[in-house]
Amino acid sequence: MVAALNDDSEVDATLRAVLVDVLGLPEAQVAGFDEATPLFGALPEFDSMAVAGLLTELEERLGILIEDHDVSADMLETYGSLLTFARAKALQ
Amino acid sequence: MTASGLHYDRYQVAGRDEWIMRIGDPAAPSLLFLPPLFEEMNRTRAFLAAVMRRVAAAGYCCRLPDLPGTGESERALDEMRWQDWRDAARTAVDGARGVVGVRGGCLLDQGLGPCIWRLAPVEGASLVRDLERTGLVAEGGGAGYTPSANLLESLRTASPAGDARTVRLASDRGEADLKLDGPPLWRRSEPQNSSQLSDAAASDIVEWAGTCAAS
Repeated sequence: MVAALNDDSEVDATLRAVLVDVLGLPEAQVAGFDEATPLFGALPEFDSMAVAGLLTELEERLGILIEDHDVSADMLETYGSLLTFARAKALQ
Repeated sequence: MTASGLHYDRYQVAGRDEWIMRIGDPAAPSLLFLPPLFEEMNRTRAFLAAVMRRVAAAGYCCRLPDLPGTGESERALDEMRWQDWRDAARTAVDGARGVVGVRGGCLLDQGLGPCIWRLAPVEGASLVRDLERTGLVAEGGGAGYTPSANLLESLRTASPAGDARTVRLASDRGEADLKLDGPPLWRRSEPQNSSQLSDAAASDIVEWAGTCAAS
């Protein structure tokens, strides 16, 4: 079993890497994301088909389990909301 | 013939013809490629073909089957049982010197000989969760995939097993014999290829295949 992440900045870096890898976004664009950057519904690459892949990749890289009831439009709305969710799951 | 030539041959599963893509001289030592499952299969088709071309250029005959109910198969996915896919792999291996599995393809390589190479092997349960989640988010079923209950239930408990050379991406926290830099192409919502990853995977496959004994 892999060790759990225990560092805030590591979760942030992992989330950015997953956005680059799953959505095919340029690294420079994702590096510029801040808490208020809108994601789901705002980025053409981030559609409903991409959500499943994004969540599964996050699970694998952060060593977390995301339940169906965890997933909501609110949690996917901005970079900040997704990061808050990922941190809560990874660091609990 | 040239190593880059691509051909389609037939192989038989349960008395029915299925297609198998071949790149490389049929007289050369052969390697069976087992593709990822469901949507991941489509996302990695260009990657697999690129890897097969490079490995064929090094003197191997690379073969990639359409599992029954997928690709150009005339059978319906919702009628396929997990055992049908196991049988397909067992038939398609046809004396191959080694087996190269990618993602869910690594769940089908058991009993196919001693020389197994795996890229990013995955638990069946993770693939089932991905299918269910896609259906939930897209509200149109599992991205159009309607596997039978038998196939889903067997997949849910399937796990990569047995000795293999395991290769993973650098971003993957799982244990591996080798880690490669590159994107998880099987996750991309819009299929892409990576020559960096296909070159690196092909190099390692060629080196590994050289250690596999002739059968």
